[in-house]
Amino acid sequence: MPEIRVTPLGAGQDVGRSCILVSIGGKNVMLDCGMHMGFNDDRRFPDFSYITQNGRLTDFLDCVIISHFHLDHCGALPYFSEMVGYDGPIYMTHPTQAICPILLEDYRKIAVDKKGEANFFTSQMIKDCMKKVVAVHLHQTVQVDDELEIKAYYAGHVLGAAMFQIKVGSESVVYTGDYNMTPDRHLGAAWIDKCRPDLLITESTYATTIRDSKRCRERDFLKKVHETVERGGKVLIPVFALGRAQELCILLETFWERMNLKVPIYFSTGLTEKANHYYKLFITWTNQKIRKTFVHRNMFEFKHIKAFDRAFADNPGPMVVFATPGMLHAGQSLQIFRKWAGNEKNMVIMPGYCVQGTVGHKILSGQRKLEMEGRQLEVRMQVEYMSFSAHADAKGIMQLVGQAEPRRVLLVHGEAKKMEFLKQKIEQEFRVSCYMPANGETVTLPTSPSIPVSVSLGLLKREMAQVPLPEAKKPRLLHGTLIMKEGNFRLVSSEQALKELGLAEHQLRFTCRVHLHDTRKEQETALRVYSHLKSVLRDHCVQHLPDGSVTVESILIQAAAHSEDPGTKVLLVSWTYQDEELGSYLTALLKKGLPQAPS
Amino acid sequence: MKPTHNSFCHYKFPSGSPWSRGSPRPSVSASSPLRASQVVKPGAGPPERVDPAAGRGFRRTDGTRAGAPSLAMDPECALLLPGLCAVLADPGQPVADDTCLEKLLDWFQTVTETGSSLRLLQDNPCLVELLSHVLGTQDAPAGLLSFALRLAGIFGAQESGFQYLQQGELLSGLFGDAGPLGQAAWTVPSVRSGWVQGLRSLAQHPSALHFLADHGVLDTVFSLQRDPSLFVASAASQLLAHVLALSMQGAAGSPPAPQDGAWPTCARRIVGHVEESLCSTAAPQVTQALNVLTSTLGRCHGHWTKALWAQLSPLVARLLEREPVPAAHSLVDLLLSVARSPVFSSADSGPWDMAARTLSRLGPLQAGPLALGLLKLQHCPQTLRTQAFGVLLQPLACVLKASAQAPEAAGLLDGAPGSSVPVDSLLSSKSACVGLLCQTLALLEELQPLPQRPSPWPQEALLGAAVTMLRLCGGGAAPASSLGGRLCRTLAGCVRVQRAALDFLGTLSQGAGPQESVTQVFAALLECLESPDSSPTKRLCSPCWEVRDSALEFLTQLSRCWAEQADFRRALLASEVPRLARQLLQDPESYVRASAVTAVGQLSGWGLQPASTSPQHPGAQQGLLGELLHILTTDSEGFPRRAVTQVLTEWLRAGHADVAQDTEQFVATVLQVVSRDLDWEVRAQGLELARVFLVQTLGQPGAGCPYAVGLPVASSPSALPAALHALGRVRLLDFALCALLDCDRPVAQKACDLLLSLRAELARRGGLQEAGGSPDPAAVEAALRGWRTGEQGQPLGELAPAAMLAVLDAMDLEGFRGRLAESSDRVERSPQSLLQDMLAAAGVRENQADCY
Repeated sequence: MPEIRVTPLGAGQDVGRSCILVSIGGKNVMLDCGMHMGFNDDRRFPDFSYITQNGRLTDFLDCVIISHFHLDHCGALPYFSEMVGYDGPIYMTHPTQAICPILLEDYRKIAVDKKGEANFFTSQMIKDCMKKVVAVHLHQTVQVDDELEIKAYYAGHVLGAAMFQIKVGSESVVYTGDYNMTPDRHLGAAWIDKCRPDLLITESTYATTIRDSKRCRERDFLKKVHETVERGGKVLIPVFALGRAQELCILLETFWERMNLKVPIYFSTGLTEKANHYYKLFITWTNQKIRKTFVHRNMFEFKHIKAFDRAFADNPGPMVVFATPGMLHAGQSLQIFRKWAGNEKNMVIMPGYCVQGTVGHKILSGQRKLEMEGRQLEVRMQVEYMSFSAHADAKGIMQLVGQAEPRRVLLVHGEAKKMEFLKQKIEQEFRVSCYMPANGETVTLPTSPSIPVSVSLGLLKREMAQVPLPEAKKPRLLHGTLIMKEGNFRLVSSEQALKELGLAEHQLRFTCRVHLHDTRKEQETALRVYSHLKSVLRDHCVQHLPDGSVTVESILIQAAAHSEDPGTKVLLVSWTYQDEELGSYLTALLKKGLPQAPS
Repeated sequence: MKPTHNSFCHYKFPSGSPWSRGSPRPSVSASSPLRASQVVKPGAGPPERVDPAAGRGFRRTDGTRAGAPSLAMDPECALLLPGLCAVLADPGQPVADDTCLEKLLDWFQTVTETGSSLRLLQDNPCLVELLSHVLGTQDAPAGLLSFALRLAGIFGAQESGFQYLQQGELLSGLFGDAGPLGQAAWTVPSVRSGWVQGLRSLAQHPSALHFLADHGVLDTVFSLQRDPSLFVASAASQLLAHVLALSMQGAAGSPPAPQDGAWPTCARRIVGHVEESLCSTAAPQVTQALNVLTSTLGRCHGHWTKALWAQLSPLVARLLEREPVPAAHSLVDLLLSVARSPVFSSADSGPWDMAARTLSRLGPLQAGPLALGLLKLQHCPQTLRTQAFGVLLQPLACVLKASAQAPEAAGLLDGAPGSSVPVDSLLSSKSACVGLLCQTLALLEELQPLPQRPSPWPQEALLGAAVTMLRLCGGGAAPASSLGGRLCRTLAGCVRVQRAALDFLGTLSQGAGPQESVTQVFAALLECLESPDSSPTKRLCSPCWEVRDSALEFLTQLSRCWAEQADFRRALLASEVPRLARQLLQDPESYVRASAVTAVGQLSGWGLQPASTSPQHPGAQQGLLGELLHILTTDSEGFPRRAVTQVLTEWLRAGHADVAQDTEQFVATVLQVVSRDLDWEVRAQGLELARVFLVQTLGQPGAGCPYAVGLPVASSPSALPAALHALGRVRLLDFALCALLDCDRPVAQKACDLLLSLRAELARRGGLQEAGGSPDPAAVEAALRGWRTGEQGQPLGELAPAAMLAVLDAMDLEGFRGRLAESSDRVERSPQSLLQDMLAAAGVRENQADCY
């Protein structure tokens, strides 16, 4: 019995580091290869030893698919390909391939900055890893090998994020990665066609949440920034180089333009140029509004946002600064934070998640006295948290399930309790089974493969010619010969099959004996049979042949003498299988006997 | 007051304490995977434990790095613990971050490894109270339950801690039938995982063994071997191996066989279970049994393991009689584990015989790793080595035979007795054929460089096989047989086999080969390069950036090896390659630009510099240096700029003609540009360039040391003022002082090292007097003030050499170095920070759902 097996090594009932193994039609695929930023040791990577125990990695895995550039989805990739030793193909979209190295380099810098970071990949490893990537276009069916094919769909979430359909024969799995069903400032909404996969593996970060309107969050954000700069304060927004930063830049740029504000906005590090370069390059991946305005104005060429120089941090007066990294754990953002933290007029806005231990995490949990470089730092500036992460909420997830019409659903990338709730909802509403394996647990799903058969045009034409057009929803029997050749199935007419296979046709005839009490000679009996049938079967062609035998269509009737009883004649009735109905009817008719002949 | 015998059993929580509430609790997600590697480290025995009786307080780990946070239980942490335990037990305060509990366990593990658990538990009664509370709560959240099980295991790893916990029956409660085993939470994998991990920590001493036997724990572990979670199943097998080893610890000499009754109860039961599993018809059960044996024989080398193998090997041998052989992967691992065990010598024929039988019973795909493993062993008998090598060579022999034009052509395994070519496996399907060939090539590639590889090594035939495969993949082979024809059809266009064969050729190139083979190899390689219809040079014009980049990397390596060979120089200069490489300095892909910078920079260093091809390109008129400086100034991406600073540093070091024209001007320009760069690696590399200049100007630091290797000193001490003036002209001090305040620690660290070495060198050369008298105090004060106020972007201004020295002397550079030596995650890694974060996060809710 064919089956699909799914084992999350990461993202099984957690949001740590996505890495899901799928076996489908004898092929093994790894979906995402993420890193957990909350750990500094081996635990930041998925435990690949569970794959390596199956033999050589490259032989076992047919391909790796990366859904998008966030590190919890791709951060372990250079480690996996350059250090663990996977040497097979890696698939991702073009923007993901372009942006991945930037974020990986960003993270490598943090790792280098920390002490004792052994066993971490180098810049050269990142490049070598990227050379193994096969970049794919949206909706392009990519043949991984003779049997395995994949196809990417737009997922929103971040630039280049994609959902992937994995198909072997008639079996298919769709993996959503992270997605967003509502468009935002720069990206569109996720979309997939009604592909009816055997299994939909969907993220469930906001499994129980119906998120408030993004407009409210944006208004709130702008209000806070505006109020702070109005009272002469400085606003620090720690971000990662790509993703949310661009969304917030567009937001502020538009607001500044509308309000005619003159307060400077800066983006620290040169990443903004690089990032904006990619947004320009991959304009087709952004939303419709940005694409439309691109003709006369590129939304990513900011008028109000300028590059930051570290000396600016000491300038008097208000300003807004986007600085990396996003969790305030090192580098520019931390340096600026240290300078501004003591002034209550200032504000830091954290637009995303921070791992434990980082300054970002500490101030978000309300800690106001921090130890920094051996000194106590009192945080007097205002601390705000605003979630701008772009995931589908419960409504969006249900919408996607409805759109793809899967036979089953499997939840990953979420918390167990919330998954439980969503699982029930999906099972009730869509009447399909829903699974939520923990990391290391394998879900095995039997599949009943449908085998595609192509029908020859000739056969269909003949069928059409014989009877009226078939009704759409009414099944109808079609006779033909099934040819299985070179892994293909074709239904053709028998004649064509014989011709193709070089076979001669054999006639199969059924013969039946009917005993009649008749003392006359055989020829006379035959004549009587002829007269009788001629009168009964008016619509059929009944013939009396010169050799004395009688035919009705293909049915042949001969009369013979009984070897032992001269008063009995034996009628030999024979017919081909095509005329079986008529043959049976005639036999039954003759068994009833012949009408009395006029004496 | 110290807890009495059973004080915590009757502990009453204070009224109003969050611990006394009994409402349903939200789950704390702590389902981090249990790693096999963390459960049992092969070859490592149980960790050494500190004698609890000797435990008097907690020691700081000796191995702590300078600047690393203290991981011991200090008074601050002890003060925070009760509050944290209360938070953990409070159903209304779910722990936000699922990594926190993991890190907390890591910390307790460290604390108990360096101090007494008993003392820890006595000094911090809240810990036992927390465990009791979890035990007493029927519907404890899975995350908390899992945490408590693992925590109890850590505390119970020392006998004293174990006894202390057991006084209150805490361990019995947690790990026995009445604990989570019977609760609904057992269905959660993280709870089962916590249970196994807790026991694994606990099982370190004889009391723990009795505990396992008395509480019927082994039966549960047996059943967990078949757990739906890979992590739990694997951990259960590892636990069994660990318990077996522990219970047999101290068994000296050659003990009787396990069934004789002389073995401890635990060991007998585990062996009995393994025997039963080996006889099972279910493959997963056989696999688990084999895994337990592999772990045991891999890490335990006591004589008892010989008795164990003697008893179990007949059952293992019976697996070979089944069709197909079950759990082949695990069987191979086991046989290699036995073969590697020092307990067995080459005189013990049993393991070798079984390995030989297994080689002949398994298919080529499964037998390959076993064959390689055996060939790696020095003491493997020769006949078995021959057989194993035969297994590895068979698929290639088949390929050679199938494509041989003449029957007498050199082949592999010619005339070898019993060498049956695995034609069936090779031709059963395309994927089987590709898989087998790739594996074979990879295994032979691994074997080739090893000293224990078979001798004679069939270099020629292997070269022939690799070339044949390349031809088959390229579609250029002319099949001479029907088998060859089928191989042709299967492999034509197969990139995987082509890559494997190329890699294999690369490995084989380390050995010599007859001229004829070398010619064949070159022909095949050129065929690969020329397909599809491009000259090797055009490779630099490929539409794929990966190809352009690899071609440039290849060019760099090639010129590094051969730049001095006249033939190569002639050929290179006559070709289009240098011109094309230089064109790629303007490639749209930043990786390619960076590789072009490296390649062109190196070619130029060897005098293989191409002329600029784009006069309209800014900087091109000034030659390559100008072009590189233009990239350094304007390129929007870090990789090319990093490459430029590396090339320029090399040029400075090697005295490149363009640099030597006006070295000071060159250094000043580069430092000025680099100081404004936004990429930390460019700035760090700029400091390296500054260091090279410093050495060239002042001489090798410490060159005065009588034991130092005598490198030429660039200037004599009397020339010091002139040298300092040179440093001043290039603004080296400005650059380094600015970098000292860099927001990226590695840059600041490098700057600090540079300044320290400069100061030491100046002091060694006579300091102020040599530098030219006393400095202007006002200039020094102004410079320091400007620098201290953080106006690091501002130049110090032209400083007289004496003032420069005075500035350096006035700075606490050692203090800087000390602070910079501390990792940026120093606070992050401290237990106090962890406890504070967990306590602080308890009150915060709204951020929990977020992620990237």
